[in-house]
Amino acid sequence: MLLAKLMIPESSRHIFTDFDSALEDLRKNVLMMASLTVRNIENARRGLFERDEDWCNTVIADDEEVDTLEIQVDRDGIETMLRFHPVASDLRQVMAAMKMSVNLERVADQTVGIARRARKLNAHVLLPETAETEPLFRHAESMVLDAIKAYADQNTELARTLKPRDRELDAMNRDFANKLTELMPKRPEHIQGYLELIFIARFLERIGDQATSIAEDTVFAVEAEDIRHTQAG
Amino acid sequence: MTETSARSVDAKHVSPGRPDFLTVRNFDFFYGKKQALFDITMDIPEKRVTALIGPSGCGKSTLLRNFNRMNELIDGIRHSGDIRLLGQSIFDKTVEVIALRRSVGMVFQKSNPFPKSIYENVVYGLRIGGESKKSVLDEAVERSLRGAALWDEAKDRLHESALGLSGGQMQRLCIARAIANRPKVLLMDEPCSALDPIATVKVEELIHELKQEFTIIIVTHNMQQATRCSDKTAFFYLGKLIEFAETQKIFSNPVQKQTEDYITGRFG
Repeated sequence: MLLAKLMIPESSRHIFTDFDSALEDLRKNVLMMASLTVRNIENARRGLFERDEDWCNTVIADDEEVDTLEIQVDRDGIETMLRFHPVASDLRQVMAAMKMSVNLERVADQTVGIARRARKLNAHVLLPETAETEPLFRHAESMVLDAIKAYADQNTELARTLKPRDRELDAMNRDFANKLTELMPKRPEHIQGYLELIFIARFLERIGDQATSIAEDTVFAVEAEDIRHTQAG
Repeated sequence: MTETSARSVDAKHVSPGRPDFLTVRNFDFFYGKKQALFDITMDIPEKRVTALIGPSGCGKSTLLRNFNRMNELIDGIRHSGDIRLLGQSIFDKTVEVIALRRSVGMVFQKSNPFPKSIYENVVYGLRIGGESKKSVLDEAVERSLRGAALWDEAKDRLHESALGLSGGQMQRLCIARAIANRPKVLLMDEPCSALDPIATVKVEELIHELKQEFTIIIVTHNMQQATRCSDKTAFFYLGKLIEFAETQKIFSNPVQKQTEDYITGRFG
């Protein structure tokens, strides 16, 4: 579905068609990275909630694909700048693709972190508090999906929804960590497990940050407005 | 921009960095029945580099050649509107064209040194203007060749033919010849299009140096050159000024779609 959105409309094509091809290839690879990253989040979720070590191991192994694509996008981006000297919106698009690949690679790294912690949790008795990370998972994943959709569709209205949603995720993470910290003295036998869950929530919170960065870069690519480190949604 | 060089031209007329140094107002221009420029209005700032860009036939060179009334060499031309240098119309009856062209020097696409020595090329304008004192001419040669970053390469061969210079050196000699008259404005019509990349870099560096002292207007088809050299950029299309803004703005986030389409190569 994402790939269908890659085609550049006839009216905005460049005279130099090689440049269009280069831009399309760049976007294809970024969106491929995005698909793999979303798959990794989904697999990490299954690893945690289905208590399945195989899914956790799959996430850790699949990270390599995302890493490889990150390097590819970097190379393609540099080559595109070298060959075509893009300016204005073209330059912003190349930069957005390169920055997006960095953010996606970081999201994939966070999912590896989640998978590693989930593997440890799965080796012990099920903690009922594990289920309470589900809303954080849902929230973080929906942010990543919408950040990718906003990039693919160049939809800045959707991109601008990410910042307030990130603040909500931050609050959810804070509340969850506070709750587990309070439980620790009461159930010292579960301290290790609670720490793993706090780490998982923290990884999800970081995923939200990276989704927000992708959205901010999309707004810059499309509207040339830099909304980083501002309250602007 | 606020620094006034000891060699600054007619400082009594100018406060450095004057934003309306050269003004164009509602300027229309016709070659016979064909209108080449439509209602151009713009203020060219002092001691900055202004690039004129646009596809062939967009009117940028026509406008450039109006700044020193070079177009008047062509039959059947006419204009309406006005161009003012330091507030005075360049079309005023009291303005002598020769004097105007001394104030508004020009460097052409192809270097065109006279078949004379390097020295005589530089002092040509001064001699025409009646200057014959050797000390004045010597001073002008050194000042101009230094200003054009050619002194070190040419000082030991000042009396050899200019035609023995390389293409890049010839172009810098033409720049030296233009600045020998201490112009207020330096017009450059694609000054690097016939030069190799190294010579181009030298001329571009020179442009950067020269703007300390002169107001420079450059026509170029090379977008990267406009980005590197100019402070402001004007985009022309079909004889109209579509957008005029800081170069950084034009090449990062132009307001007009036509500008964006042109600089990103979507025009055609």
